[in-house]
Amino acid sequence: MSYAGPSRKRRWLGGAAALVALVLVAVELFFPESPVSEIVRIVDANYVRAVLRLAVPIAFAALGGIFAEKSGVINIGLEGLLIISAFTSVAVAATIGGGSPTQLELWLGFWAAVLASVLFSLLFAVVCIEFKADQIIAGLAVWLIALGLAPFASKVIWGQVNSPPVATLNNFDLLVAEVNPPVVMMLVAVPAAWYALNRTAFGRWIEASGENPKALDTVGVDVRKVRYSGVLLSGFFSGLGGAGLALGRVGQFIGGGATMVNGRGWIGITALLFGNYNPLGAFGASFLFASLDALQIRLQQLGYSIPSELIGIIPYVTVVVVLAFVGHTRIPDAAGEHYESGEE
Amino acid sequence: MSSSGPDDAPDRDDGDETDPNPEDSWQGRADRALGRLVDASAVERILISLAALALSVVVGALVVLASGWVATCDSPFFAASGVGSFCYDPVAVYRVMLGGALFPSYNFALTLKETTLLLFTGLAVAVSFRAGMFNIGTQGQLVLGALGTALAVVWVAPVVPAGAVGGLILITVGLLAGAVVGGIWGAIPGALKAYADANEVITTIMLNFVASGIAFTLVSEVFKDPNSQTVQTRAVPEFARFQPVFFGESVFSFSAYALVGALALAGAIYWMLNGTSFGYDLRTSGVQPEAAEYGGVDAERTMVSSMALSGAIGGLGGAVYVLMVASRWRTGIPSLGFDGITVSILAGNNPLGVIPAALLFGALKTGSLSIEFQLAVPKQLVGVLRGLIILFVAMPEFFRMVGARFRFGEEQPSVATDGGGGTGGDSVEGTTDGPVGGQTDALDGETTDAAGDDRGGDDR
Repeated sequence: MSYAGPSRKRRWLGGAAALVALVLVAVELFFPESPVSEIVRIVDANYVRAVLRLAVPIAFAALGGIFAEKSGVINIGLEGLLIISAFTSVAVAATIGGGSPTQLELWLGFWAAVLASVLFSLLFAVVCIEFKADQIIAGLAVWLIALGLAPFASKVIWGQVNSPPVATLNNFDLLVAEVNPPVVMMLVAVPAAWYALNRTAFGRWIEASGENPKALDTVGVDVRKVRYSGVLLSGFFSGLGGAGLALGRVGQFIGGGATMVNGRGWIGITALLFGNYNPLGAFGASFLFASLDALQIRLQQLGYSIPSELIGIIPYVTVVVVLAFVGHTRIPDAAGEHYESGEE
Repeated sequence: MSSSGPDDAPDRDDGDETDPNPEDSWQGRADRALGRLVDASAVERILISLAALALSVVVGALVVLASGWVATCDSPFFAASGVGSFCYDPVAVYRVMLGGALFPSYNFALTLKETTLLLFTGLAVAVSFRAGMFNIGTQGQLVLGALGTALAVVWVAPVVPAGAVGGLILITVGLLAGAVVGGIWGAIPGALKAYADANEVITTIMLNFVASGIAFTLVSEVFKDPNSQTVQTRAVPEFARFQPVFFGESVFSFSAYALVGALALAGAIYWMLNGTSFGYDLRTSGVQPEAAEYGGVDAERTMVSSMALSGAIGGLGGAVYVLMVASRWRTGIPSLGFDGITVSILAGNNPLGVIPAALLFGALKTGSLSIEFQLAVPKQLVGVLRGLIILFVAMPEFFRMVGARFRFGEEQPSVATDGGGGTGGDSVEGTTDGPVGGQTDALDGETTDAAGDDRGGDDR
């Protein structure tokens, strides 16, 4: 399958990014005193670690979206799943830990959040697969329910939309470096997802379920079950992403405005489109968006007088620009369509 | 092996291979009947919206019960050993919510004020959805429209005479500025969709974040009111505001002029959609993009213009927010744009249906303040209800299954055969507005589903 248009555009974008990198390196070499090189020097091991942490919710949302959409169910509710799991992780950890949860209690909260996200995605799957709901509108509903439910529940539990701070998951030593657990999960999940999709029978079913469900049905595989597993996997991965955001990095649930998730689920969807439904590509795109986010945080720390709100929109502007360039992404043929088995 | 493809959308019927022997497969026939069913008549759509509302109320009550079980309070309304105590009484919550939306009179004014604003955002969303464009960006269009209005009015105010004439000029300028800014901001995702094939669901959501970032930065860096600590523009002069009528002057002041204007706009958009050739093009593009293009509709232009129109209406909402509610642009503009999505979906994207839906949500919002004030139930409950309503409206099939099991039984499909859409539509047309040709009803019925299907089937 070759799609000259988008892939050429991708190469263009890649080339442009490489050129920018080259220019930055040149500035760093020849004008070490300029502000640009000060920014370039931001990029070090710490920066990469920060980027990886910021990439966690985006990349997991993207992975989840890939499984759901490849199986034929467009799940634009990923943002909502991230919100639900971020909230649940803190709520459970704080409740069983009595305000200052231990590491074990944090991990219980973490997995409770994954479970909550899976259950929420099960609801979405039933609505879409059994009751043939419009997937876009149902996904929107998942987002809006989460956007209302999490602050509502926060207020019930804590009396305000934000939770009190809880601890974060401890880093552990791996060979030479300290690593953050959700980051490790992400670095394992990305190649695992690639392997599952490209080298296993399950991956072929997922692919067929989204491209040609009738053929899958013909060879005797239950399309419904494959689609359920695709959507539930999207819930599982989003659960890891949301809990990883709340307990791996922030250590709190923030429910004001667009909540602490603040559009990362939507950026995850863009990352999967940009990565053309390939987990590795989607991770690359997540890394790109996260690095922009990290850059704006660093710029603020360096005290540049650019208003933080303006820098804060850089990732979103990038998403729009990227979509304008990549635009036409080929989605699975049968995605968004309902499939009814012929037999029964 | 029967080949019952996914013919749940009427426009897909022709694409299906015919069953080799259609007689033996009752399921194939049932599927085709279902396809026609999805071409829901207006009556059925109203029934589904009402059923979705009722179900949301029930599920919302369960949410209230469960959260009351989690919450701790001094005097639970119900407690039993072994079960625990329940702090919130769902019946009381709904009673207070409804009562708080109507009484005392300044609460009713608040309800009407919310209704006015929701009319604008609901109509904005409806126009785009009817054109097959999922504009989730009404919020951003409203935020920037509000900023445009505030700045334009503050800028023009010194050169106009104070008083009624000057007020009329300033209000006109403000409304125009809001509409233009919102329209431009709405046209961007339209153009991106038309010429770069960028998915408008994602771009409009992203542009919401961008809009609030830009507006905040502009105000905090350039247009900040020097006499204020918070990020806000200068206030528009008193005489440039919508004058309150009926309920007297107070913080709750609401202007009947704005409400009447919003209602007139709903009528105008209904007429635009059903009585003009632009509206016809817009609706056909929403239902059947390929057929529309074959019929000579410029698809790209329709995408851009429908999104610009939608954005302009959202911008008008922002203008009214400034001129009636806030008197200035300030941070923390309420999520009127997202509520507009709910209003429009509940209304089946029908401009006239937007009126009761906006009233309902206006009442819910005011009522939510009362439940928080009187019962200590968080007002965010309305956000949950909003999501639930969208979810249930999105699954008409569920209600059809329930309906078929409990009430209609076998004869249901026969109602839906070709004449069904027309007759169903006519009876509603009678209750809502003057006579409109039968052909529009067929289009009315299938917009949501067909638009959604287009989204999925098409590539982005």
